[in-house]
Amino acid sequence: MITQRRTLLATGAALLATPRVVRAQAETFRIGALNPVTGAGSPYGSGMQRAILAAVEAINAAGGANGRRIEVFSEDTQTSPQAAVLAAKKLIEVNRVRAILGTWSSGVSLAVIPLTNDADILLMHTSGAPALSTPPANAKNLGYRFQATNDRFGRAFAEIAVREGFRRPATMAFNNASGIGNTEGFRRAWAAKGNRNGEHVVYEPNQPSYRAELLRVMNTRPDVIVMGSFLPDTTIILREWFQMGVPMKWIIPGWAANPQLVQALGPAVTEGIISVDSVSNEGSPAFAAYDAAYRRATNRPGLDNVYAAMTWDMAHTLALAIEQAKSFETAAINAAIRQVANPPGEAVPGFAEGKAAIAAGRKVNYEGASSVLDFDEFGDVTPDFGVFFIERGQINRRYVVKI
Amino acid sequence: MEAYLAAIGIIAAVYVLLTLGLTLQYGLTGLVNFGHVGFFALGAYASALLAMQGVPLPVSFAAAAAVAAIAAWPLGLVALRLREDYFAVVTLGFGETVRLAITSERWLTNGVQGIPGIPRLFGGVGIEAALATLAAIALACAVAALMLRRIARSPFGRVIEAIRDNEEALKALGKDPARFKLQVMMLGSALAGLAGAFYAHYIAYLSPDQFVPLVTFYAWMAMIMGGVGRVSGAVVGAALLMLFLEGTRFLRDLLPGLVSEVEMASLRLGAVGLALVLFTLFRPQGLMGDYTRR
Repeated sequence: MITQRRTLLATGAALLATPRVVRAQAETFRIGALNPVTGAGSPYGSGMQRAILAAVEAINAAGGANGRRIEVFSEDTQTSPQAAVLAAKKLIEVNRVRAILGTWSSGVSLAVIPLTNDADILLMHTSGAPALSTPPANAKNLGYRFQATNDRFGRAFAEIAVREGFRRPATMAFNNASGIGNTEGFRRAWAAKGNRNGEHVVYEPNQPSYRAELLRVMNTRPDVIVMGSFLPDTTIILREWFQMGVPMKWIIPGWAANPQLVQALGPAVTEGIISVDSVSNEGSPAFAAYDAAYRRATNRPGLDNVYAAMTWDMAHTLALAIEQAKSFETAAINAAIRQVANPPGEAVPGFAEGKAAIAAGRKVNYEGASSVLDFDEFGDVTPDFGVFFIERGQINRRYVVKI
Repeated sequence: MEAYLAAIGIIAAVYVLLTLGLTLQYGLTGLVNFGHVGFFALGAYASALLAMQGVPLPVSFAAAAAVAAIAAWPLGLVALRLREDYFAVVTLGFGETVRLAITSERWLTNGVQGIPGIPRLFGGVGIEAALATLAAIALACAVAALMLRRIARSPFGRVIEAIRDNEEALKALGKDPARFKLQVMMLGSALAGLAGAFYAHYIAYLSPDQFVPLVTFYAWMAMIMGGVGRVSGAVVGAALLMLFLEGTRFLRDLLPGLVSEVEMASLRLGAVGLALVLFTLFRPQGLMGDYTRR
């Protein structure tokens, strides 16, 4: 019995060890794709992971970064901080990755960043929480955010409210870091412009009806309601508002006011809603390359998943920084990230072009698929915001707001 | 590799502490507590907030257990009046109430933004700190397990098992079940609070969305797989649970290309569910359960 158990243990250990031996043929640069494949982030997670794999395929086809192929280890965060911490530990300790790409929700990124800091490796994420910019979370400046902060979204909302001539905005927020971040960013920016803020209602998720919250806001007679919301709750709120028959304008983030919303509610309800989203860098050659790769990998258009465009850019920025640094050390790569992503320099749309330019001794500026991707001193980007109006069931972009 | 194993060990030990609390409450006394995560959350936040104010960690850990135990007192009073299914509903509601309170009291808990940068045990960086943390929590588990074993074999243990088996008969013998239930509720919750403190100072970031009912049910799964009412069952069950949740990660590394991460995530949950079904079918008393009874 005991010998059997030992044999079993030995076999198990051997099995565990085998793939590492097999993989060790040529030295690679290992990265972790840590994405929300299940849980609240599941509509985006697998697309994000596939975008990383597709980007790495393109990079390896161009000869790899600084002569090494990039190898991806994928994990699922389950959109849960606890599961993400164990997954990150595994990526760092067992797979020995040198960077982690694509954590999505703020809760997960805030839980993972102490680990990447300890291991002295990079974390590239798409979370909105402002706390990720500064110490203690970003104490070593190894964190990079490829998404606008919730605060920037709020500022964009305020710009739009001014431009559209609204006077008495009220706010409604889904009770999580993202929803509250959006509306508070708006209220701060709106107050900074010398205006007075209206009613502010925070509501709990997963309610069958939001009539009470809606009435509280409507009773103050605002001329626009600014939302920090998600798709399911927005659908219910707008339906209940429409049944009340009171005219109202809405400013809603793009992940809630999207084609699914129009499909669920119909053109009559959604007419005139203003939908705001960070615009992917749509006209750019980088976006075209990403779009083609995303369609190949998932059979869906690249515009479906703004976060996949961000993870595509993560892999490219990282590979270009390695190429620029001519090193695989974190400190050197970290120092090179702003060199390859920020102006000045020759605008490059992809890794192959960037590699050629670096080889020729020119300074490059990667213009990404998700935004032009210029990092500030906190490792944050400031994308442009598209302002979309829903008209007769169509979501049309009217203009772009820069903040 | 060592640090990863230590990480699994620490999280598994957190579940051992949680499961030991449940073993005392349900396994020995028959109290159906579906709000375990509430006490876990109270302990985590209590210890984190105190430590952020500069309170030494041993004191904050003790405070975590104390806060959770005190919070269990009113719930224990309710327990005296409710039959077990109603009590289950009340505790489930309690767990959710704690989470909503944490979400709403932003002045204290920073609401949904959560608390980053919680001080970690033993400095927190490197393999030494991880192993020291593991040793500390393993010690806590061992002490708790021994304590529970002593309780189970003491006169007190015989009374609470009698409460589980036949409360009316016990009353007829002149014992007052209320006092015992209250003590059990508070003691089990103190263990959950202690688990919360270890969790908070290990993960170093707390937010309300970490304290969902799933945590309670993971502890229930561990208890059912290990063996209800067995102290060793709590340990084995929690280890088995982690094996299911974490082991599947390596399964995918061994079979590259065969299953995608999306499919693996579903397979992982399916495996846990299948294990639970098989356990109830073939080993209803759990892995470490008593063969001779039931």
